Amino acid sequence: MVALTRPATIGADRSAAERLGSVTTGNALELRGVTKLFGALAAISDVTMSVRPGERRAVLGSNGAGKTTLFNCVTGDFLPTSGTIRLFGEDISNFPAHERIRRGLRRTYQISLLFGGMSVADNVYLACLGVSRGRFSLLRPRPSDPIIGRADELIEAVHLTRVRDTLVSSLSYGQQRQLEIALALAGAPRFILFDEPAAGLSPTERAELIDILTGLPDHIGYIIIEHDMDVALRVAESVTMMHNGRVFKEGTPEEIENDEEVQQLYLGGGHG
Amino acid sequence: MGTLQNFSTRHPIWTVIILVLVVGLAWLVFAPWPPGLEQVLGRKRIFLNAILSGITLGALYFLVASGFTLVFGLMRNVNLAHGSLYLLGGYIGFGVVESTGYWLLAFPVVFVVVGVLGLLLQHQVFRRMEGEELRQTLVTIGLSIVLADLMLWYWGGQSYQVYSPDWLSGPMELPIISSLRSNGDPVYLTYPRVRLAILFAAIVIGLAMWYALNRSRLGMLIRAGVDDRDILAASGVHIQYVFLAVFGFGAGMAGIAGIVGGTFQSLSPGEDTRFLLASLVVVIVGGMGSIPGAAIGALIIGLAEQIGLVYAPTYSVVFTFLIMAVVLAFRPQGLLGAQR
Amino acid sequence: MAQALPTTAPGRLTTALERIPAPVWVIAFLLLLMPAFANNFVLYQIFGWSFILGMIALSLMVLAGYGGMVSLAQMTVAALAGYVVAILGTSGVPQISLGWPWWIHIPLAILIATLFGTLVGALAVRTEGIYTIMITLAIAAAFFYFTRQNYVIFNGYTGFNNVIPPALFGVEWRQPVPFYYLTLGCATLSYLAVVWMARTPFGLALQGVRDNPRRMGALGFHVTAHRIFAYTFASVIAAVGGILLVWQSAQVVPGTAGIPQVIDILVVAVVGGLRRPIGPFIGALIYAVLSVFSSDILHAFGMSGERFKLVIGLGFLAFVLFSPDGVLGLWEKYKARRAASPDPLLGGGR
Repeated sequence: MVALTRPATIGADRSAAERLGSVTTGNALELRGVTKLFGALAAISDVTMSVRPGERRAVLGSNGAGKTTLFNCVTGDFLPTSGTIRLFGEDISNFPAHERIRRGLRRTYQISLLFGGMSVADNVYLACLGVSRGRFSLLRPRPSDPIIGRADELIEAVHLTRVRDTLVSSLSYGQQRQLEIALALAGAPRFILFDEPAAGLSPTERAELIDILTGLPDHIGYIIIEHDMDVALRVAESVTMMHNGRVFKEGTPEEIENDEEVQQLYLGGGHG
Repeated sequence: MGTLQNFSTRHPIWTVIILVLVVGLAWLVFAPWPPGLEQVLGRKRIFLNAILSGITLGALYFLVASGFTLVFGLMRNVNLAHGSLYLLGGYIGFGVVESTGYWLLAFPVVFVVVGVLGLLLQHQVFRRMEGEELRQTLVTIGLSIVLADLMLWYWGGQSYQVYSPDWLSGPMELPIISSLRSNGDPVYLTYPRVRLAILFAAIVIGLAMWYALNRSRLGMLIRAGVDDRDILAASGVHIQYVFLAVFGFGAGMAGIAGIVGGTFQSLSPGEDTRFLLASLVVVIVGGMGSIPGAAIGALIIGLAEQIGLVYAPTYSVVFTFLIMAVVLAFRPQGLLGAQR
Repeated sequence: MAQALPTTAPGRLTTALERIPAPVWVIAFLLLLMPAFANNFVLYQIFGWSFILGMIALSLMVLAGYGGMVSLAQMTVAALAGYVVAILGTSGVPQISLGWPWWIHIPLAILIATLFGTLVGALAVRTEGIYTIMITLAIAAAFFYFTRQNYVIFNGYTGFNNVIPPALFGVEWRQPVPFYYLTLGCATLSYLAVVWMARTPFGLALQGVRDNPRRMGALGFHVTAHRIFAYTFASVIAAVGGILLVWQSAQVVPGTAGIPQVIDILVVAVVGGLRRPIGPFIGALIYAVLSVFSSDILHAFGMSGERFKLVIGLGFLAFVLFSPDGVLGLWEKYKARRAASPDPLLGGGR
């Protein structure tokens, strides 16, 4: 189970991921009637959706539509009140977060949850360590340690090599967002949840982000929460609209863009 | 009583077990014991005494722990100087009773004096480090070291006993049969009047606190603050005043408990840590920040200690500890604590 | 706390030695040559005791500084190791002590105390932050009362006396000079072990758990397991310290881990500084000097010599209130102030 997802840089372990994919037919992620109550308030209610392996899905919706809560339920940051969550066919509804991660699920956080007191290299190293053996090792890693090599490749992949040994707290905002993505790509991800990765980025940084996302190997599926319709529609092949904690519409980007209800609700009718 | 109904529907097995235990205990207390049982458990009088001592000790623990849990619940401040306030209250109470001869007078005096000390602590020290829970806790440890040595300096190492007034001294007959005479007449149990009075007072104080918390405006605010401090801040209440009031009240309660403890048992250096630890265990078991939790925790710990003392003296402390460990293992937030 | 992992070729021993700054060499030589100019009392009562206290406080520092968990049960772990040595080895209570040889009872003592410490950790990590303090304090108290009441194993109130180290290699280890070197060696080893640990994958992950447990879970780390293993690691150090402590005083009694002693370890660690492994040793030295000379110091201020606890309590309060990072924090502030030499017009300022 755990041992199946061995660390690798992005896509390098494709065969392993495909092998896993062939073992578990069906959807990469499947939610059935997922509800999360905070007291009497339903942050999300009765969310049912399924994402195919390798599919790239955008989740749109206004603030408070329940998008981040949905992510938190999927990754196990907290348990849903009811409903089931399946990852590659396996019911993970009651798994702790780390067990889900070891099955190939990854996420980024909207507000960067990074280790500010550590260097970029150590942050990425931790991410690679988390999905490898030797988490409890009391031996210091040698520079030839494969995990350090993988961490360096990841840092390269998100264009942070120049600041490799800088403390994360002194990185620019855009660099911190890129590091968030690097952390989510460690090991052999099979499905990634991106929580507003483009928020607050400059146009250049956005373009870089789109490059990174579209450049991901085909077998890695993801869900991206994005406010910027243009970004969302460029990196996603299907769209789920959420409203007031419920799934409101699903379809291709074109269908959603041209849907009247959606336009009224979300685009304010001003788009197209 | 909606929660009770909820509990019985959600945990039918536990409900049955608890009911059986309660009925069994009631039978043990009220029915005359058959000789076979006396062979196993010893004289009924001894058993009854252990139960009553457990309940009254629980009442004392409740008095100490209620202030502790209230302060913790609202301010997230583990006041490890709580035991020192208890002992200080006891010593001052002793002084008041010695000099005036009025037992009851000691209560308002101590409540005010120790309460004001609590106000000062909150206003001068803890307010400055709000949100720094660990630091506040460390400060209370420092305070308890200093207070303990100051009290040792002033009152010395001997032990003091606060004498109860005449109208509370002596035994009292209870409508509980302790044994049957050979001619079949029942012998009723007698028990120190002062302990029963303290039990009664603890119940009244507990109910009053529960009522005040659940029915008064201030109480609602405090409960809102326990659940969510932002609500309290947003409601326009001067949160500092609420903190002050709660801390002062909690300290005052600890002081009063000191008089009770001094009447009940005795006062000497070291009692401060003993009662601090009792409060800790009580709130860990009952649930931190919950008054009914403190009551249940105090009752369980008091009973476990006294029954253990009678039937397995070497291991009575272990019982207390085991209860705590089991609660922690299966319900880390305590029996009545809110899910965190 | 930047713990950069090695990037360049592994430092050879010589380069590693060259990297040690000069003051460390000076202190190391001073410590090694101490028996040449210090009398037996200073060696045994001040330095020996400081090293031992420092080790036990170091185990708290590992948990608090790297793991963010303030455990008050480390003194209890130490005392348990001492008890096991007394029970399995030899003591002045032959009816209980089994008299097993040192190569069985010492490893067993460390093992049993470590298991106990791990168990305490497993219970304590079920809650967080200040709850940990409450729970570990309650566990420490339970141990104290239990050892005081239990006569079958722990010999109750009297405990064990005459617990002395085995005369290994023909050395009387309780003689001041051998004992000084024994404690110095153990303290140095534990210090180095902690410094080493902080930069291993486990140490790095532990600091990650301290800073951001939620993120660590989302990176695939079993947060609880890391915390519990930190207790295991820390308990080994505490256990060794406990054995030395029992040898130093030749006895182990319930009061070895009474509530005041448990709190003292916290005081030592906080006063020294919880951020670096050297802090607890500084705190321990201050504590030992103060407690040995307290009556003289107090008399100098015209007070009765019994008010040692008052001094300790007030000193602890002062540190918690004004310099939460302890002596090390003060030292760093002083260095920072010197580095940023104050503007003559604006003054030192804050």
